[in-house]
Amino acid sequence: MSRVAQRGGASSANRAGDGEDICPVCKTSRYLNPNMRFLVNPECYHKMCESCVDRIFSHGPAQCPVAGCRRTLRKNKFRKQTFEDIQVEREVDIRRRVADVFNRREEDFDTLLDYNNYLNDVEDLTFNLIYKIDLEESEKKLESYRLDNEQSISQNKALASQESQSAEMRKMMEQEQAKLRREAARREEEQLRREREEGRQEVINKLAAGDGDASKIARESHSIVLKKSSARRAALERQQQLTNESNGATKTNFSIKGLKQKVEPEPEKPYDPFGGLSDARDSYVLQDDYDVDWLRSFKQDPRHNVGGYDFKEFYDRALCDAFSGLGVFIEDEMAGKELSSIAPGSVTAAAQAVTEGNTNEAKIIAEDVF
Amino acid sequence: MKFNIDDLPVLFPYPRIYPEQYAYMCDLKRTLDNGGHCVLEMPSGTGKTVSLLSLIVAFQQYYPEHRKLIYCSRTMSEIEKALAELKNLMKFRTEQLGYEEDFRGLGLTSRKNLCLHPSVKREKSGAVVDARCRSLTAGFVKEKKERGEDVDLCIYHENLDLLEPHNLIPPGVWTLDDTLQYGESQKQCPYFTVRRMMSFCNVIIYSYHYLLDPKIAERVSRELSKDCIVVFDEAHNIDNVCIESLSIDITEDSLRKAGRGAVNLERKIEEMKATDASKLQNEYAKLVEGLREADEARNEDAFMSNPALPDDLLKEAVPGNIRRAEHFVAFLKRFVEYLKTRMKVLHVISETPPSFLQHLKELTFIEKKPLRFCAERLTSLVRTLELTSIEDYQPLQEVATFATLCATYDKGFLLILEPFESESATVPNPILHLTCLDAAIAIKPVFERFSSVIITSGTISPLEMYPKMLDFTTVVQESYNMTLARRSFLPMIVTRGSDQGAISSGFQIRNDPSVVRNYGNLLVEFAKLTPDGIVVFFPSYLYMESIISMWQGMGTLDAVWKYKLILIETPDSQETSLALETYRHACSNGRGAVLLCVARGKVSEGIDFDHHYGRTVICIGVPFQYTESRILKARLEFLREQYRIRENDFLSFDAMRHAAQCLGRVLRGKDDYGVMVLADRRFQKKRSQLPKWINQALLDADTNLSVDQATSTAKKFLKTMSTPFPARLQDGISTWNEQQLAAHKEKVEDENIAMLQDGIQNGHTGSKGGAAGNEFDDEELDEAMMGIDA
Repeated sequence: MSRVAQRGGASSANRAGDGEDICPVCKTSRYLNPNMRFLVNPECYHKMCESCVDRIFSHGPAQCPVAGCRRTLRKNKFRKQTFEDIQVEREVDIRRRVADVFNRREEDFDTLLDYNNYLNDVEDLTFNLIYKIDLEESEKKLESYRLDNEQSISQNKALASQESQSAEMRKMMEQEQAKLRREAARREEEQLRREREEGRQEVINKLAAGDGDASKIARESHSIVLKKSSARRAALERQQQLTNESNGATKTNFSIKGLKQKVEPEPEKPYDPFGGLSDARDSYVLQDDYDVDWLRSFKQDPRHNVGGYDFKEFYDRALCDAFSGLGVFIEDEMAGKELSSIAPGSVTAAAQAVTEGNTNEAKIIAEDVF
Repeated sequence: MKFNIDDLPVLFPYPRIYPEQYAYMCDLKRTLDNGGHCVLEMPSGTGKTVSLLSLIVAFQQYYPEHRKLIYCSRTMSEIEKALAELKNLMKFRTEQLGYEEDFRGLGLTSRKNLCLHPSVKREKSGAVVDARCRSLTAGFVKEKKERGEDVDLCIYHENLDLLEPHNLIPPGVWTLDDTLQYGESQKQCPYFTVRRMMSFCNVIIYSYHYLLDPKIAERVSRELSKDCIVVFDEAHNIDNVCIESLSIDITEDSLRKAGRGAVNLERKIEEMKATDASKLQNEYAKLVEGLREADEARNEDAFMSNPALPDDLLKEAVPGNIRRAEHFVAFLKRFVEYLKTRMKVLHVISETPPSFLQHLKELTFIEKKPLRFCAERLTSLVRTLELTSIEDYQPLQEVATFATLCATYDKGFLLILEPFESESATVPNPILHLTCLDAAIAIKPVFERFSSVIITSGTISPLEMYPKMLDFTTVVQESYNMTLARRSFLPMIVTRGSDQGAISSGFQIRNDPSVVRNYGNLLVEFAKLTPDGIVVFFPSYLYMESIISMWQGMGTLDAVWKYKLILIETPDSQETSLALETYRHACSNGRGAVLLCVARGKVSEGIDFDHHYGRTVICIGVPFQYTESRILKARLEFLREQYRIRENDFLSFDAMRHAAQCLGRVLRGKDDYGVMVLADRRFQKKRSQLPKWINQALLDADTNLSVDQATSTAKKFLKTMSTPFPARLQDGISTWNEQQLAAHKEKVEDENIAMLQDGIQNGHTGSKGGAAGNEFDDEELDEAMMGIDA
C-alpha cells in the first residue's frame, strides 16, 4: 500500500495542479489520507473517495453529491476506475454492453465485406451511444436486435467463452511444458558437468594407481570423454528429434485452435416424444377460425376467453378426433389378435361419426367438451 | 590482373592477389552459379570487399542476366570505402577493356547526409531533416502548389521531375561525395536521384537497415527484383540488427505523447470534415476495397513506415470497425489508454502476445484483427489528412507499430514490462519492451525473396551458428586462413599473473585485488614493451570504471603513465571521438598511447587500428553479455526451445565473436603486425570458438601463459617483427602474381584430375571396395568430429 502511496505522490508531482489527488467531494487530499482510493459509479462517472461513498451511500440510494448531477446512485454499483481517462472508462462500459449483444462472428457471414460492413454498423451504433447522438433510437435498435437474435447471441457467447477457456488451457499447458523443458535442460547440463567431473576423477585415480604411461592414459581418457559426449550428443539429438516430432504432433493439435469450435456442435434437435412419428395432420388442414354460428356466442363470452382458453386448440382436437381413424383398419390388425368384440364396435361407431361429414363434426365433439 | 575462374573472366584491380582472395572468389562463384545462400569468413584486412566486388561485377557483366548487386554494410565509413573500391575497380576495368561499360553504381544513405536544400541541410538531427524534407517534397504539397496555394517546395526535388525518369544521373560509379557534387551542379536532389535510380543501377551500396528493417525496406527496397545478389558485409552482428529492427520500447512519456497525437488527429479530422469531407469519404471508399488498393501511392513520399506485414494481410480489407477515421482514432485512444493502465503495474511482467491480446480484449474489447491493421490504417489516415508535421505523430506511430507487431506474431516475441529502471530504484519509470526474440523473422523476407544472399565478415565463427539462428540453409559455408609469409601476429592466452594466481573477469573474483593487480601488471608490462599504440578492451563500462579506480589506488596508472598516454572511451560519442583523435595523434607522435575501451562499445566495432595505431590489443576478461537482463534471458530461452541452442553455447558464442572482433581491430592487412592478448583463464576452453585464422596462428605453447611468460614471448615476437621484410619475400606465398596464380590453378586441376582418376579406379574395384570406402569415411568423419570437439 505504501508503494501505491509513493507512486501516487510521484505522479502528482508530475502533474502538479491537476487535482488528481484531492477528493472533489470532501476535499481530502492524499496528504491527509494516504490510503485514499477513488471510486466511480457507472451512472454518472463522478469520482469520489471511498470514505465519501461510505458516508453518503451507506443508508441506501442517494443523490450524487456533485453539484448539478441529480442522479440517484447505489453503493454497490461503485467500483474502482480502470482507466485514467474517465471518458474511456465510460466508453468501455458502453462497449461492454454493445459487445454483449452484437457478438456475431466472421464465420456467420458469407463474405468478408459483409462482415466488415456489419462491424462498421456496430461501430456506428456504439459511437452514437457514446456521444449521445440519437440516443433513444440507438438504444431501441440495440434492444430490438437483442430481442430478435437472442438465440444466436447466446450461441456465440457460449462459443466465445469456450474459446477463451481453451485458450486459457492452452496457455497453461504451454507454460507447464516450458517449465518441464527448462527443467530438462538444467538436468542435462548438470549431468554433463557431473560426467566430466567423473572422467577427470577417473584419470586422476588411474594416474595415482601408477601403472602405464601417464600421457597415454590422459590421451585415452580424453578420447573416451569425447566419444561419450559425442555419442551422448547424438543420442540427445535423436531424442530431441523425437520429442520435436511429438511436440510437432501435439502442436498441430494445438494450432487447430480449439477443434471444438470448428466442428460445430450440431444444433440440438427439439425433443421428439413420438420418436420420429410426425404429428402433422395429413388428412385435413387446420384453419385459423371456423365460423360456426353456435360457437360464436362462446367466442364472445369472456368466461371462455379469460381463462386462456384457445379455440384453436379445440378445433384441432375436434378435427383430430374426427380424422384419426381414417386409414386404420382395425379388422386387419384384429385378425392376428384375439380381442373382445367390444372394441371393434366402438371403433366402427367412431368411423361412422367421421363419415357423417365435416359440417356437424364440430357439433358432436363440442358437446363433450363443454 | 586478369584471370579466369572456370569460364568467367575476372578483372582484379591489383597486380597481385592473395591466395585466400582467390579461394573466396571461387566459392562465391560457386554460390552464384548454384543459386543459394552462403556464409563466408575471411580474415580482416585481406581485401574482402575488393574480391567480392570484382567477382560479382565480372559475373554481372559476363552473363546476360545482369543480376543486380545489393551490397549492405554497417556504417557510413564502410559504405564509402566500398564505393571507393568499386570506383577504382570500374576504372581498372575500363582501362583493361578499352571501353566504358554501361554501368551504374550508387550509394544510398539518409536524407541528412544527402540533403542540399540550403536551410534543411543545416538541421542537426536526422529526424528533423526527414520531416522537413517530406513537408517540402510530398505529393500533396505539389498538388497544393498547382492549385495555386502558397506552399514551399524544394527546388532540388522539383528539378528531378524535369529529367528523364530513367536517366537522372549518367552511368558510372558515384560515391556519396560525387552524388552531392553532381546534385549541386545540376541543382537536383541527390537523395531522390539515388532512390529513383535504384531500379536502374547495377550496384547499390547501402546500410543493412534499408533491407532488414521492415519499416524502411518496405519503401526503399520493394522494387528490387528477385534475382538480385544480396551481400551482407561485416555481418557478424546481423542477428542483433534483425532483432533491434523489430523491437519496440514504450515509455510513459511516449504514451503521453501518443495520446496527444491521437487528440490532434481527432481535431484534424474534425477540421477536414468541415472543409473537405470528400477526401475522407474517398479514403473510406478505398478502404472498403482493401489496403493494397488504397495504397497505390505507397512510393517515396509515403510518410510513415509499417512493420513486417504478411502479404495476405495487405490484400485483405481493413476491418469495418476502424474504417471510419473517427472510429479509428477512438480505437487508438482506447489502446493508448489501455497501455497506460498496464504501465501502472509495479511488478515485472513478461507475457506472450496472445495473453496480452486476451487481456486487452477483456478490458477494452479490442480484437486482434483490427489491431493488426493498426499501423497500416494510421499511415493511410495520415496521408489522407495531408499532415506535414509528422514528427508530432512519431510516438503514435510507434504505438501503432507495437500494436501491429503484437497482433501479427504469436511466437518469437515477448512483452516485458519493467516498472523500475534498476533493482534499487524506488520511483517507477516503467518501460514496456516488445522484444523480438527471433532474428529469423526480420531477415526471412530477404532470404525468401532473393535467390543468393551472401553473409560475410572477418569474424563470423562458428559458421554453423548463423544459419541456425537465422533459419536458412547454405550451399557454401567456408572459413579461410590467412596465408602469411611470416608469422605477423601473435595471439596469446594469458591465464595467470606473475604470482601464478588465475586471472579472470568471472563474477566472483573480478574485484579481487590480486586479480586487478595482475591485470594491472599485464598492462604495465605491455606498455613498456609495445611500440606505439595499445588498445585494451574491457567487458563492460561498469567493470572498466571499477578496475580503473582500483588501479589508481594501486599506482598502476602512474606506472603506465610513464610510458604511454592513457585515454578512455566513454558512452558519450563526442568524448570518445575526441579521445580517439588524441590517441591517433599520440601514436603518430611516436610516444604511443593506451586506449581503454569496452568490447561492446563504439570503438570495438568499425574503428580500425592499423599499423602503428595498434600494435597490441589486450582483451581483459571474456566479454559476456549482462546475463541478468530479462530480455537476454527470454531470448536465451527462445533459442533453446526453438533452435536447440543451449544457453551457455550462445553466451559463449556471443562473447567470443565480440572478443574476435576486438582482436581483429589491430590487424588490418598483410603488412601489418600486432600482438593479441586474451587475458582470462576461461579463454583456454573457448579457443575453438575463435575464427579459424586466429586459432591457427595460436600455438599450443601460447595458450596457458603467465604474465611474465607472455611478456617474454611478445618481446621476442616484436624483435623479429622489427627486422625489415621486403615485399618480394611474400611473393608466391602470401601474394600471387599472374604466373603464380596460373601455376596454382594448374596444380589444382592436376589434383582434380588425379582425384577423378582415383575415383574411376575405385569404381572399377567394384562394390565391395565402395562399401569399404564408405566405412572408412565414417571413421574419418568421427575423428574429424573429435578434433572439432577438442
